[in-house]
Amino acid sequence: MAENGEEKLLAVARHIAKTLGHNESMADDILQIFSTFDGRFSREKLSEGQPGEDGSTVSALERALNSLDSQISRFVAADQPIWSDPADSAAFLDAIDELVNITREWSHLANEKPVGACLARADEMLQQAMFRVEEEFRSLMERGAESFAVSNHRLDSDEDEEEVEGDDDYDGDQIPVAKPLTDYDLIIDALPSATINDLHEMAKRMLAAGFGKSCSHVYSACRREFLEESLSRLGLKKLSIEEVHKMTWQELEDEIERWIKSANVALRILFPSERRLCDRVFFGFSSAADLSFMEVCRGSAVQILNFADAVAIGSRSPERLFKVLDVFETMRDLMGEFESVFSDQFCLVLKNEAVTIWKRLGEAVRGIFMELENLIRRDPAKAAVPGGGLHPITRYVMNYLRAACRSRQTLEQVFEESNGVPSKDSTLLTVQMSWIMELLESNLEVKSKVYKDPALCYLFLMNNGRYIVQKVKDGDLGLLLGEDWIRKHNAKVRQYHSSYQRSAWNKMLGLLKVDNTAAGMNGLGKTMKEKLKQFNVQFDETCKVHSTWVVFDEQLREELRISLARLLLPAYGNFIGRFQNLGDLGKGKNADKYIKYGVEDIEACINELFKGSTTARK
Amino acid sequence: MPATDFQGTFGRSFLSFRRDQVDSNTPAAGSSSHSMEAELDSFQRQVAEKFTDLNASGELLSLEWIGKLLDSFLCCQEEFRAIVFNHRSQISTSPMNRLISEYFERSIKALDVCNAIRDGIEQIRQWQKLSDIVISALDSRRTVGEGQLRRAKKALVDLAIGMLDEKETSLAHRNRSFGRVKDSHSHHRSMGHFRSLSWSVSRSWSASKQLQALASNLNTPRQNDVVASNGLAVPVYTMASVLLFVMWVLVAAFPCQDRGLQVNFFVPRQFQWAAPVMSLHDKIVEESKRRDRKNCCGLLKEIGRIEKSSRVMNELIDSIHFPMSEEKEIEVKQRVEELVEVHEALKNGLDPFERKVREVFHRIVRSRTENLDSLC
Repeated sequence: MAENGEEKLLAVARHIAKTLGHNESMADDILQIFSTFDGRFSREKLSEGQPGEDGSTVSALERALNSLDSQISRFVAADQPIWSDPADSAAFLDAIDELVNITREWSHLANEKPVGACLARADEMLQQAMFRVEEEFRSLMERGAESFAVSNHRLDSDEDEEEVEGDDDYDGDQIPVAKPLTDYDLIIDALPSATINDLHEMAKRMLAAGFGKSCSHVYSACRREFLEESLSRLGLKKLSIEEVHKMTWQELEDEIERWIKSANVALRILFPSERRLCDRVFFGFSSAADLSFMEVCRGSAVQILNFADAVAIGSRSPERLFKVLDVFETMRDLMGEFESVFSDQFCLVLKNEAVTIWKRLGEAVRGIFMELENLIRRDPAKAAVPGGGLHPITRYVMNYLRAACRSRQTLEQVFEESNGVPSKDSTLLTVQMSWIMELLESNLEVKSKVYKDPALCYLFLMNNGRYIVQKVKDGDLGLLLGEDWIRKHNAKVRQYHSSYQRSAWNKMLGLLKVDNTAAGMNGLGKTMKEKLKQFNVQFDETCKVHSTWVVFDEQLREELRISLARLLLPAYGNFIGRFQNLGDLGKGKNADKYIKYGVEDIEACINELFKGSTTARK
Repeated sequence: MPATDFQGTFGRSFLSFRRDQVDSNTPAAGSSSHSMEAELDSFQRQVAEKFTDLNASGELLSLEWIGKLLDSFLCCQEEFRAIVFNHRSQISTSPMNRLISEYFERSIKALDVCNAIRDGIEQIRQWQKLSDIVISALDSRRTVGEGQLRRAKKALVDLAIGMLDEKETSLAHRNRSFGRVKDSHSHHRSMGHFRSLSWSVSRSWSASKQLQALASNLNTPRQNDVVASNGLAVPVYTMASVLLFVMWVLVAAFPCQDRGLQVNFFVPRQFQWAAPVMSLHDKIVEESKRRDRKNCCGLLKEIGRIEKSSRVMNELIDSIHFPMSEEKEIEVKQRVEELVEVHEALKNGLDPFERKVREVFHRIVRSRTENLDSLC
């Protein structure tokens, strides 16, 4: 009897050691403690109790299995979710753990028939149990995601004050609600903490029992769906490259706005949140965590990248520059996130894709500038502006470049990425800008030749040249092109100015030269009379025409007038004076008869110049 | 013509390149019409050779064979790129400018097919995961118990549903797991969600329409176009046809949304490569009409094998009554072996194949970008 009792005691001691000892060596330590505690618990005696050929110990195994069987079967057959009651779930897991332990303990005797039969039965029980655990796992995941889906909608809104309707309808569990999205430093608990713990406990058992693949499969399917739904709520559409290619610009702009928001939320909040969840549910099984994470996020990441790719591949119409730059900048700013979120072995491909697409966006920006070059090159020469004023292409290009240069830093980055070779003192962006300016100026030169009157040709170049310099001077474009460039172009404008003056007014000026070597006083009078007559005609003509011409820049207009005045007035005054002093111009003829304009009149006419006719006014 | 990498010289250093362009606008001094003819002929011959080879070797529609097809496409693409580069001065004049830009607009449609195929590959990966579960359930050292069979069965059912051709999912809308009550919010899920993966394209995207668009207006070049372009119209037509064919094969082989193969694909015999390409086309059409492959979700040979071996396994499991006879046990082990075999090959081949598809995508984009860059 006593022996039996001792047997029982030893069995209990062993049992305690096995359940408390989480591994073999711990169990051993516990046995060691027992053995020092009481003489009966000698190591030999304790180890004697190991499963042996003794039929009685096999029956102990059978008894243990019977007990576990009834427990597990009860749970497996239950209609209600086991995990709705923490006591139930704990008991269920305990039974499973016990089963696993027993199996482990007896596995080395699997060859013996009775033991083998028991182990097969144990395995069967484990399968049943795992089946149930998998179901519970799935339903717990889905339930958890459901309740979060309601509070999730706050991600859509930018409003701080929006209230969640029907939040109280859900079971009174403390479900963390996502706060309104004001910045991205937000940590979302994807599922309630208690749920995560439960899932982890379940996952632990499933992975240990060889059900890891099913577990991961269920996990990934559920979270992937949730993630995709979140993104679609943010407005991210599934668009093919062709669809993006065919969109109107307005539609695409809107789509890009939505994309920027979605990409930021995904990379900064949703993906990291999923990563945390994976790490917690699959804690201790990093490979399963990595694999599951990739499964969950792959589709959504690809969707986000596909859109950016489509934008990069799309048309290069210059108006798209600013939005394409936005996408480029978003990708650039999110690169860090891509690196950190997709850092494991399975996600390497995604990370590399992101880099490729980012580079492609840079190419697209460079392509847009090339398209701008084409536009300038192809602008028809014959369409010259009446009155020699500002040409639309000048205005377009200069305003475009000014606006573009506001994103100067990003553009520098875009151009540095290309394979070109910058010169010592200038960046590639500077080179690109200079080139565009050159193209514009060549185009304008060609256009200027359309004017038959060379004076108008120079005026046109002066006008446009002036506008160009004005637009370059104060701003980033000026910083890019440099002081030298500005100086050179100002000089050019001044050159056009003198060319204009020369071509339009030199002849008249020539007429006003007082020639002292005239053959005698009579001859002089006659020549001067002739010259004055010619001067009057030419002056009339010129003023009539040139007053319909346009100089848009007030300052330039004044400069032109002043310059002309300085040129003409003294010469004219001098001439008139001499003319009047000639005295005898013939029988009683008065000099005044031939003098049409006084000096003030000349001045007045000059001040009427370059006002532009009503149709030519720019 | 060596397919050198033109990245460094082609349109990147824009200053030097642009200045070159101006000079090369006159017909290049060295290229006589004779050498150009030889160049174009060589291209036609190369295409013909590649497709003759595809006819002769490898198992049609196997992953490896399709990989070879993609390799051939990439080779032809490089040749084409070289031709376009060599005669870039001509490309900017009529009719070539029109024909070339049409070609590159067409190539965008092919990009979408490449992306859709990636989805298809992912589908196959999901099936592999399910097969893994079946294998791990049954491939144990111990005898197979009821629980393991149940687990295998469940995975096989999921697999069968997952492999259903899209059109048939409406018939298969049923609970996926035993005894589970449908969630109340599941009515929000549409058919697309019934599969474990949703497509990355919108609901309205259609692979079949995409193919039709690729085929539309793909006419043999008009005689006056050929003459006016010094023969360059022919390689453009050739490349467009090859592109269409390759995309058609991909859609035929892999699962994708609205996978229809009804495309008017015909190349007149006058082209060297017409015979081998049409022969492949006809063989594949025949394959698609076979009774056992008519409603499959993809003609890829490996898909057929997965289908067959999983179906056989499913039937076997259904026929098992416990206690399992030794006969049955052996049979189960055999079927598991088969399943393992089918999947091993696929497991190793799928990733490199996907990379190849991605490479095709990138090259098409690059080719188009280069062309846009060079238009002055």
